[in-house]
Amino acid sequence: MAVAAAAARVWGSSRGLDRAGLLLLRRPGARGLARSLPRRQEQQHFPSLDDKPQFPGASAEFIDKLEFIQPNVISGIPVYRVMDRQGQIINPSEDPHLPQEKVLKFYRSMTLLNTMDRILYESQRQGRISFYMTNYGEEGTHVGSAAALDNTDLVFGQYREAGVLMYRDYPLELFMAQCYGNVSDLGKGRQMPVHYGCRERHFVTISSPLATQIPQAVGAAYAAKRANANRVVICYFGEGAASEGDAHAGFNFAATLECPIIFFCRNNGYAISTPTSEQYRGDGIAARGPGYGIMSIRVDGNDVFAVYNATKEARRRAVAENQPFLIEAMTYRIGHHSTSDDSSAYRSVDEVNYWDKQDHPISRLRHYLQSRGWWDDEQEKAWRKQSRKKVMEAFEQAERKPKPSPSLLFSDVYQEMPAQLRKQQEALARHLQTYGEHYPLDHFEK
Amino acid sequence: MAAFAATAGGLLRLRAAGSEGQWRRLRGAGLLRGLLQPESATGVAAQRRRVAHFTFQPDPEPREYGQTQKMNLFQAITSALDNSLAKDPTAVIFGEDVAFGGVFRCTVGLRDKYGKDRVFNTPLCEQGIVGFGIGIAVTGATAIAEIQFADYIFPAFDQIVNEAAKYRYRSGDLFNCGSLTIRAPWGCVGHGALYHSQSPEAFFAHCPGIKVVVPRSPFQAKGLLLSCIEDKNPCIFFEPKILYRAAVEQVPVEPYNVPLSQAEVIQEGSDVTLVAWGTQVHVIREVAAMAQEKLGVSCEVIDLRTILPWDVDTVCKSVIKTGRLLISHEAPLTGGFASEISSTVQEECFLNLEAPISRVCGYDTPFPHIFEPFYIPDKWKCYDALRKMINY
Repeated sequence: MAVAAAAARVWGSSRGLDRAGLLLLRRPGARGLARSLPRRQEQQHFPSLDDKPQFPGASAEFIDKLEFIQPNVISGIPVYRVMDRQGQIINPSEDPHLPQEKVLKFYRSMTLLNTMDRILYESQRQGRISFYMTNYGEEGTHVGSAAALDNTDLVFGQYREAGVLMYRDYPLELFMAQCYGNVSDLGKGRQMPVHYGCRERHFVTISSPLATQIPQAVGAAYAAKRANANRVVICYFGEGAASEGDAHAGFNFAATLECPIIFFCRNNGYAISTPTSEQYRGDGIAARGPGYGIMSIRVDGNDVFAVYNATKEARRRAVAENQPFLIEAMTYRIGHHSTSDDSSAYRSVDEVNYWDKQDHPISRLRHYLQSRGWWDDEQEKAWRKQSRKKVMEAFEQAERKPKPSPSLLFSDVYQEMPAQLRKQQEALARHLQTYGEHYPLDHFEK
Repeated sequence: MAAFAATAGGLLRLRAAGSEGQWRRLRGAGLLRGLLQPESATGVAAQRRRVAHFTFQPDPEPREYGQTQKMNLFQAITSALDNSLAKDPTAVIFGEDVAFGGVFRCTVGLRDKYGKDRVFNTPLCEQGIVGFGIGIAVTGATAIAEIQFADYIFPAFDQIVNEAAKYRYRSGDLFNCGSLTIRAPWGCVGHGALYHSQSPEAFFAHCPGIKVVVPRSPFQAKGLLLSCIEDKNPCIFFEPKILYRAAVEQVPVEPYNVPLSQAEVIQEGSDVTLVAWGTQVHVIREVAAMAQEKLGVSCEVIDLRTILPWDVDTVCKSVIKTGRLLISHEAPLTGGFASEISSTVQEECFLNLEAPISRVCGYDTPFPHIFEPFYIPDKWKCYDALRKMINY
C-alpha cells in the first residue's frame, strides 16, 4: 500500500496511475493472499520524513557530497603490544603482573612445544611418521591465549595450535600417539599427524578442511549461551582460512545471534606459499570485524602478554555481554608449512632469520624472565636438557607401541554399526585370513 | 536465492490458498471466477494447469499411538517439532525464515510457544546454517536446521560430508554431532523447475556417517522426523513439498517413532517388486493397481523410507520371492539411488532374477520447467517398464 501511495504522491493525480494500475501494484501480504479491496492508506508516522533516512537496512545520515570511502590500508588498525622486541615492558599499566609460576609455565610450554616440534619434524624426515607441522614462531599466540581462558572453555582449532593443548597439560605421550597412530591414540589412528583432539581438555578434534570450524564454534557458543554455562568458545584460524566462505558465515552468525565467542586469527604472513599480499587487499582480518558489527583488535602475536591481555578482556566481555570478539594476532611462520613444504622456494632465508633471531616470542619472554631474575642461563641449560629428555622418552615409547586393531577401521562411522558395514568388516577379516601375509599385520594389534 | 524461494513459496501459498490445482486469476483483468475460459480470441485452446501426477493415498488411521488429528504433511512436521521442543529443553530450530512460520508453514506457532532463543532466523547462508548446527550438536544440544529448499543444500555440502558425517569417526568417538538434524523440502512440485524440484538424496547416499530419510505421508513424516531428531547420528530429512498440503491423514498428536533403516512393504505381491520413496510411492501404488487390473500382475510395493543406511534385507527378500524389481525416482537416472539398489540386488539375488532390474527415473537433464509433465517418471512410464519386465 505504501508503494501505491508513494506513487500517487510522486506522480500526482493528473499523471497518476489509474485505479487498475494501482491495483496491479499491490503485492501479496505476508500470507500470500492478495487483498480483495484496496486498503485505506495507512499513515506511517515519522518524526520528519525529509531529515533522516528511513531504510530498514541502514539509517545513518544523508550526505549530499559524492565520496567513496577509502579502505585504510596505509594507516591501518594499530598493533597492540606490551613488551618491546627485547622483552621490556613499554607501558607499565599494561603489564598483567602475572605471578612467576604462571609466567614460567608460559615459558616451559612454549619451549617444550618447540623441542617436541624439532624432534617430530626430524622423525618425519626419517620416515618414522608420515607427516608433521611445526609451530615455530607462533608459540606466543597459543600460550598467551590459552592462559587467558578457563580450562573448560571450548577450543576449535585449525592445525597450528598445539601450544594450546600443551598449555592445558596434554601429555607428550598423547601428542606422539596421535602422530604415530599407535594403540594409545585417543583418535584411534584415523587421522594424519597433528590432528589432535581431547574431550577432557575441551579441545575439539582438528580436521583438515580449513575454516569449517568457524561456524561450528559459533554454534557451540550459542549453545553455551543458552545453557548459561559462563563459557566462552575460542576459534583459531589463519589469515588464509579467513578467506573461506565459512569464515564470513561464522562472523555474520556470531554477530547476528549474539554469541560469546572469540575469533582468534593467527596472521603469520603465509598460507603455504601465498603471501598476505595475495590473500587479501584490505587491512588484514581485524578490519573485517567492524563490517560484521564485531569488536576487533590487532595484537603483536609474538608478545605473549599482549596476546594474554587481549584474550583475557575479550573473554570477560564476550561472556558478560554475549557478543563476539575478533583478535588478529600478527606473527610469523618461521617453519615450513609442513613436512611436505620447502619454503625456500618462495621466501628468503634472510627473512626467516630475521624473525627467528630478532622477534621470537620465546626469546622475548626469556628476556623478560631474565630481567625479572626469574630465569638464567643455568636454568635454561638444565631445562633444555630436561625437556629434550622428556620428549625423547615419549618418542621412544610411541615408536615401540603397536598400531590399533584393523577392526577399528570400521567403528564410529555411526554410533551403531550398520548391518552392511558389519558385512564389510567380516569380509576384510576373511580376506586377511587368506592374504594376511601381504599386509603389515605384525605392527597392528589383533 | 531468497527472492526465488519467496516467490516459489509464494506461488505455492497462492496455489494452495485457492482450491487444488487452480491458478489464482489476475485482478483487474476481467476474467470470470473459477476455471479459465476456453478458447481465446486466437483460437488456441487455453491450457489449464495440470493436476498432479499422483493421488495421495492415506494410510488407515493408526490406533496404537493414542488420539489422532487430521493433519497435512506440514502440520505433521510442526507437530513433530512441537513434540521435540517440548520434550528436549536443549532443542532449537533455525534457518531462513523459520521465525514467522517458514515458507512452507512448518514452524508456525513454535517461536511464540518456545521463545525466540529456540526458534530463530539465521542469515541467508546454508554453509553457515549447517556449520552452526554442527557446533550446537557438538556440545550435546539438539539442533534442527532447516534448509529452505533441498536445491540450496549444496553450499553446505562440505560441512555435511567433510564435517558432520566424519565427526565421530575422525575423533575416535571423542566428539560427535549426532544431535543434528537437517530438514529440507524436496522433490517435484509441478512448477518448481531447476531450483525448486531437486531430489539430491543420491549425492548424500555416497557419504558414510550420515542418515538420509524421505517420508511418503504425514504419519510417516512425523514418526521418521522424530526418529531422526532422536537418532545419535546426523540426519538429513527430505520433505516432499508437493505433499505438504496435498497429503492429509490421521496423525497421532503424541510423539511416536517410525524406525530408520527399515523399508516398509505397504502392499504384498508375488510377481514384481516395486521400490520407491517419497511422492513416488504413491505413483507406484497406482501402477500396482493398474498392473493388477490390466495385466493380472500382483505387485509387492515397498517404501524404502531410509536411503542411507538402506534396508537391503527387505528389498532382497522381496526380490527373491518375486524375481522382478522396478525402482523409480524423480532424480536423474545416471548415478541415482536406483543404481545402488540395482547393483546390490543383482549381487545378492542374481539367480532369482527373471528379468533385468528396471529403473524408471528422471532423465539426465536438469529439472525443466515447462517440460515437467514429460520429465517425471509418471505412472505410464512405470507401467510400461513393468509390462516389458513381465514379458521379458
